[in-house]
Amino acid sequence: MLRIERVLGSRVEPALSEALHRLEHEGAVDVANVPATDLARRRLLITTRGGEELAIALPRHEKLFDGAVLLLEPDRAIVVRAATERWLRLEPRSIADAVELGYHVGNLHWRVRFGGEVLLVALEGRPEDYTARLENLISARRVGVTILDEDTADAVEAVEPPRPGGARGGHHHHHDH
Amino acid sequence: MFHALRVSDNEARDGASAARVGIGGPVGSGKTALIEALIPVLQRRNIDFAVVTNDLVTKEDAERLRRSGLIDPARVSAVEAGACPHTVIREDPTLNIAAGDELEARFPGLELILFESGGDNLASTFSLDLVDWWIFVIDVAGGDDIPRKRGPGLLRCDLLVVNKVDLAPHVGVDLDRMLADARQVRGTKPVIPTNLKSGVGVEAVVDAISAAVLFRV
Repeated sequence: MLRIERVLGSRVEPALSEALHRLEHEGAVDVANVPATDLARRRLLITTRGGEELAIALPRHEKLFDGAVLLLEPDRAIVVRAATERWLRLEPRSIADAVELGYHVGNLHWRVRFGGEVLLVALEGRPEDYTARLENLISARRVGVTILDEDTADAVEAVEPPRPGGARGGHHHHHDH
Repeated sequence: MFHALRVSDNEARDGASAARVGIGGPVGSGKTALIEALIPVLQRRNIDFAVVTNDLVTKEDAERLRRSGLIDPARVSAVEAGACPHTVIREDPTLNIAAGDELEARFPGLELILFESGGDNLASTFSLDLVDWWIFVIDVAGGDDIPRKRGPGLLRCDLLVVNKVDLAPHVGVDLDRMLADARQVRGTKPVIPTNLKSGVGVEAVVDAISAAVLFRV
């Protein structure tokens, strides 16, 4: 078990990227795949793709992030890859349906992003645990449901950015659970 | 972007700080009783720890622990949560973070801080800004349908404790079915049945905390 007590920096920092680039050519960069919901943890047990068990214990003012360099030695490195987050895309059929959907989603404290006429909900568990809460709206075809990966969700949000003064969605909407 | 935060006056305290573990759950399920049961086991295992309690408008739980004689009263801090116990562990955990920082400053060798939430409902969850890992405590007398209600607290916690298992026959609860339901809705995440009055399951809870955040197996 390898104990990691700090993040050395980001893989894109010039001071680190050169050494990483060299190690990559040698196939000596190992990757720790961290689920999106675990990124906020300061303490985490995780096994890298190469089979190394990491006991991560960061100071409270540090956080993991995509590209965080956890280990850099002359002959090997370990870098975090953040698993992409999945989103539920909810499309209400009318303004009345949208009002009701917004009420329920707010009441459930789900983390959301706005995509113009659709609402994106971060999936932090099984999709069926979310859709079951909206069963009435979904079965009556008042709300359409699809599941998106991170990149598609980014594109949806970019279609119509939230208006100034309105609640900001996505990464800036801190209503975490 | 977060690595920029490293350059701060916290630099002097680089290196791992104490692990922070949350304990949440409905009113009366046994959160304080769990802490009282954990204390002697943590002491016996030489784990250096402290406790932060959250109450609505009193310091009742902190006083109960301080008076227990189980723990140095200075190692128990109280946060008054006001009307919304979930707010201070989820939306804005600033007061609890400050209480943890203060304990770490006073007890430099601290390895573990337990944060007991005020009693709430099945929807209460902890922010990972506050804790590294968290436990949700429900009890058999609350009804064997609780797992099937799929509250966020029960679904998302890292460890589910089902307390008061000794009461099952007295309250008409099918314990095996309740535990099976809990395991079914939680997938691979652990469930530990306890009877905190007699100590059943307490060692297993300490084992789980140790393995998850203290990395002692």
